[in-house]
Amino acid sequence: MSTDLGTPAPADPTGKKILMIMTTGPEDPDKTYAPFYTAALMAAMEIDTTMYFLMHAPELLRKGAAEAVPLKKGGNLKMFVDMALENGVKLMACAESCRDLCEIAETDLIDGVRLVGSATLADLALEADSVISF
Amino acid sequence: MTILNGCEFPDGLLYYVERTQMTWVRLDGEEARVGLTDPAQTRAGKILHLRIKAAGTARERGRPVATVESGKWAGPVMAPLTGVVVEPNPEVEKDPGLLNTDPYGAGWIVRLKISKPEELRDLLEGPAATARFREILEKDNIRCMRCKE
Repeated sequence: MSTDLGTPAPADPTGKKILMIMTTGPEDPDKTYAPFYTAALMAAMEIDTTMYFLMHAPELLRKGAAEAVPLKKGGNLKMFVDMALENGVKLMACAESCRDLCEIAETDLIDGVRLVGSATLADLALEADSVISF
Repeated sequence: MTILNGCEFPDGLLYYVERTQMTWVRLDGEEARVGLTDPAQTRAGKILHLRIKAAGTARERGRPVATVESGKWAGPVMAPLTGVVVEPNPEVEKDPGLLNTDPYGAGWIVRLKISKPEELRDLLEGPAATARFREILEKDNIRCMRCKE
């Protein structure tokens, strides 16, 4: 019996929604790149893609912060944040995390980010076809 | 052939330049063959994965006909014209590196049957294309390179 499970056949992304929950901030740069990259790719596949940032993750969305997150292969996180936004990924920051943990005002967030409450996370999770947590 | 910053732009092609999109179109009757331009493949880097919409898929102009992944870039290849996919290039699906090594030849992505020929007038060619690409290459500091394999 073969143990090769192969590659899954391409799924039809039409009308699908994916929610990515991001809890890692700039304290662990190696964990920041893949979520933005994956979200950008999913949006390019026409999947309605939302990233929700809570705990220390909203720090990544502070103006000037992504430029200060170095990547192992060189460069910094900003190009991946920009790529996600260009491809149509929706970025949402948890208002409570911004206020109580990160001390970020709405005006400190980069353009294109929406500040939303925790109840929105419930709405997004219930509406999504898949939820992915990083 | 026009060459700007080491980027090649063959004569006889039409070009779709919109936001991050830089694709070429080669007309053949009611069909359009579509691929990435030299600066587009350079900006993406060595392309590792490519997914192309299946034959029969209808696309409005500006909606994805393919997605490209290079590890440093992931994004859509938008339809430069409204139409229906006639044939995705099976060779480039198997070997996406062709997008880097031969973007205007074996690295073509898809053939579309055009359904709105009036959109052709919005594509760029000749001096208008050269001027637009010169502007983009200078603004984004792009100098083209081709992967060897």
